[in-house]
Amino acid sequence: MTRNKSSAGPWVVVATVIVGFFCIFGCVFALIVLNRDNSGGPGSGNVVVPNTDPTSATLTLAYSPEKAALIGELVDGFNQQKLRTDDRETMQIQLLELAPDLMVEEALSEAPRFQALTPDSSLWLDQLDRRWAAQQQLEEGAIAPSAVGESVRYAVSPVVIAMWDDVARSLGWPDQPVGWETIQQRAAADPEFRWSHPSTSQASGLLATLAEFYAGAGKTRGLTVEDATAQSTIDYVGNIERTVKFYGEGETAILDRIKAEGRDFLDAFVVQEHLVVNYNRDASAGGSPELVAVYPAEGTAWADHPLALLESSDLTNNQRATFRAFRDYVQSPEAQKVVLEAGFRPADLSLSLDGSPVSLANGADPSQPQTTLQVPGPAVVDVVQNVWQFTKRKANIYLVVDTSGSMEGEKLDAAQSALREFLNQIKGDQEQVGLVEFSTYVNNIDPLDTLGNNRADLERSIDNLEATGDTALLDAISVAYDRLQQEGDPERINAIVAMTDGRENASSVTLLRLRETIRRGNNSGVPVLVFTIAFGDDADYDVLQTIADASGGQMRQGDLETIRQLYRLLSSYF
Amino acid sequence: MNRTRVIFIVIVVAALAIVGLAALARLLSDQPSSPLVVDQRGPINVRVLTALPVYDWVNEAAKQFNAENHELDGNPIQVEIISMDGLSALGKFDRDEFGALPSDVDLENLTPEQERALERFPTAWIPDSRYLPELANVAYKERLGRDVFLTDGEYRARPIAISLFAWGVYQSRAEVLKERFGDVDWQVIHDAAITRGGWPELGGLPEWGFFKLVVPNPRKNVGGLAAMVAAAGEYYDSVAIGTAEVTDPDFQQWLGELMSSTTDLSGGSAYTAEDFALFGYSAGDGGQLLESDLLNNMEGIQTRWGEPLDIFYPKYVTWFDFPFTTWIGPETSAAEKNAALEFQRYLLSPEVQAKAVAYGLRPANSSVSVDQPDSPFTRWADQGVVPIVSRTEAMRSPDRDVLLALLRWFDLNVAQ
Repeated sequence: MTRNKSSAGPWVVVATVIVGFFCIFGCVFALIVLNRDNSGGPGSGNVVVPNTDPTSATLTLAYSPEKAALIGELVDGFNQQKLRTDDRETMQIQLLELAPDLMVEEALSEAPRFQALTPDSSLWLDQLDRRWAAQQQLEEGAIAPSAVGESVRYAVSPVVIAMWDDVARSLGWPDQPVGWETIQQRAAADPEFRWSHPSTSQASGLLATLAEFYAGAGKTRGLTVEDATAQSTIDYVGNIERTVKFYGEGETAILDRIKAEGRDFLDAFVVQEHLVVNYNRDASAGGSPELVAVYPAEGTAWADHPLALLESSDLTNNQRATFRAFRDYVQSPEAQKVVLEAGFRPADLSLSLDGSPVSLANGADPSQPQTTLQVPGPAVVDVVQNVWQFTKRKANIYLVVDTSGSMEGEKLDAAQSALREFLNQIKGDQEQVGLVEFSTYVNNIDPLDTLGNNRADLERSIDNLEATGDTALLDAISVAYDRLQQEGDPERINAIVAMTDGRENASSVTLLRLRETIRRGNNSGVPVLVFTIAFGDDADYDVLQTIADASGGQMRQGDLETIRQLYRLLSSYF
Repeated sequence: MNRTRVIFIVIVVAALAIVGLAALARLLSDQPSSPLVVDQRGPINVRVLTALPVYDWVNEAAKQFNAENHELDGNPIQVEIISMDGLSALGKFDRDEFGALPSDVDLENLTPEQERALERFPTAWIPDSRYLPELANVAYKERLGRDVFLTDGEYRARPIAISLFAWGVYQSRAEVLKERFGDVDWQVIHDAAITRGGWPELGGLPEWGFFKLVVPNPRKNVGGLAAMVAAAGEYYDSVAIGTAEVTDPDFQQWLGELMSSTTDLSGGSAYTAEDFALFGYSAGDGGQLLESDLLNNMEGIQTRWGEPLDIFYPKYVTWFDFPFTTWIGPETSAAEKNAALEFQRYLLSPEVQAKAVAYGLRPANSSVSVDQPDSPFTRWADQGVVPIVSRTEAMRSPDRDVLLALLRWFDLNVAQ
């Protein structure tokens, strides 16, 4: 007993030393391993970590917004596999949401934030390749190089006209052919008919616009530059575009508002089929579909969602390996079932659409479309995009800008940059823009005028903004609103984009009174949409939301990093 | 505890500490692959640029080849397959984008940049047709004064499979065309394409719209050029097409009318047969495509659209022979070249050739037949697929000037 007791002491010490050593070693080891793996885990969302590591296997993938849910699920599934390259680097995908036209712009820049892209259509890849090839100064007759590397498709969805069931039936669907022309005629004949299509920076918007140009030129294929620029075509398209309620930032934003506001919002709108399917799955709960996908009789086009590698000298071998692994993953049977479940038509043709979400019960017809609209060559597409900027429905916009004392410093710099960006995005000189600057009082007003006349004045006013005083937000919005009502221009989209970073504390008008003024004015006068921007955490969200709701507009949040992008995005509504 | 035990334990702990610290150092090192064990001779990497129509088959074969642990002189061979359209690859060779070394380079004293660039240099190329490496040779002869792909000897180009261009037309549409025109050929397709009233005037349904032709975009897929050359062959009733023929204004007008019936002139996609299947009759009623691509997609088309394609063989046929072509310059080592030949032999083995048949390709190894019961040639015989193509004349390979003239015409007249 004594012997046992006496020998236990040293053993305990030794055992403690060993265990202690392994604990410390284990902790250090775990920390190192965790650090090495911390390169963007599942659901890493939009946080893009710049990579300078030549062995990096982390690939940033830019995606178009309408497939955020699908691509997020696919990327999570891929990242969870924790695949490794030959040199044991963990393969990871990071996501970056970008509108397709911005993907092209950034891909052509010196330092794009992404190495792979999945826009809504191959059209953008073609545009990227052509613009990139044009920068290369090739010899006559040379085979053009390509900035787009390997590409595959994993999901497709036809572009459709989504309508409420009774609206579609009133147009003759499903017994009569319903197409782009039907919509255009109805909108021209019935001022109460509300329809919308996205801007031409998205495949669905571009297609809807192309359909108008075809109709205007009296053709169904073979559209030429001469056709698209003929005055009669431009007049026709201009008349149709005047019936569009508003444009907006994209298909998902329209669907969000349809969900929030129901059928009072729009009668018909152009989107991809999968968005109709998913709306009905959420809204109809097994009953008859509320929305139906109408496949235009003249033909439609497909959003084919390519996944492509962007070739650049900075691309690492491991990133290339990650791309290939992800490419294989999205084409795998497991991923293709996810694609089908998300309402898209999968690229794997062995998967039948029978019994899938793409069904009549969800407003879609798997046997459609029967024919497509001819997508013209790149030069014609460019012309259509450019001409549309001048034929689309014009707008009267007041920019209401907070220059109270709290805006001083980098906030004001960011706001000025965002305002300049907003003006840059509005290409046509026929749009009318004004500016109301406020702090304790309404300090300065640049009256509404066409940008052709006042673009330079507005830019000068923006450059001269100075931050001081309190926040008379309601007075400033009230001034802008009154001026738009006095203008009384029903042909144009009338809107206010108001930004503040603080709480209202200096206005003479009350919130209740302003809300009533807007409600009454929008019913009896011209409808004015008020988009409010809460800049930073200190803004009064409730006040901004109330004003936006009263007008049918929206309240958005921005910060130093996002304010510029937010203004750019709001410019897509006009 | 006696002293011996304590010393023993201290030694064990010290040994564990050394091993642990060594592992730690390795993890912290900038070179994670630096070995803890005796260095082994690394694998021989073979990178093969592969034309799109044979990519799936060759890639599957490469995976199997890698899994079987093939070796050359005791070193394992690893094959990497890179999909690339033949015309894109030719353009990269033309522009020297792979970074071939100058003819006067000192191989013993390459810069680190040159060595790094060579890590991705292709060991071999499987283009669509043998004329493509010949065109690449022209560019390198100017630049380096020598050929880079051989037409004879051990490293010569060897076809690994063949396929030909055939008409695939949705059955419902094919029946209407046959009823009206009696057959399907380029002239029939041209006449259908220019019918102003579209399908209703041809005898089809109004919802079918206009006749829509499917032809690969020549800027994205070398098959598009082949189709235009084949159309010229029928137009001139000749297998030899030169620059004078393709620049003739009457022919160009006829070709323009034909090509204007394609549905997507924007040039977005290289995978025409896949588009044909994925987008169904909405994107195309019929077109001339590679037989293997058509056969590969027949089942998918039936599943997705509930209607098969009818297959027709034209009089003037363009064959693609997919030659396995080894790069013979100093950019790749002798071991890499010989490892590439090992893979080439593997592709030509009867077992792998039989798998090519399953992908709709006709085997280059004559000991393998296409009319096995489970072959797509047998399965789709009722749709017009035949194991032996009769009554055809093979188009001769076009020269570089013809190809460039057609590309230029396409850019100026169709893809505008």
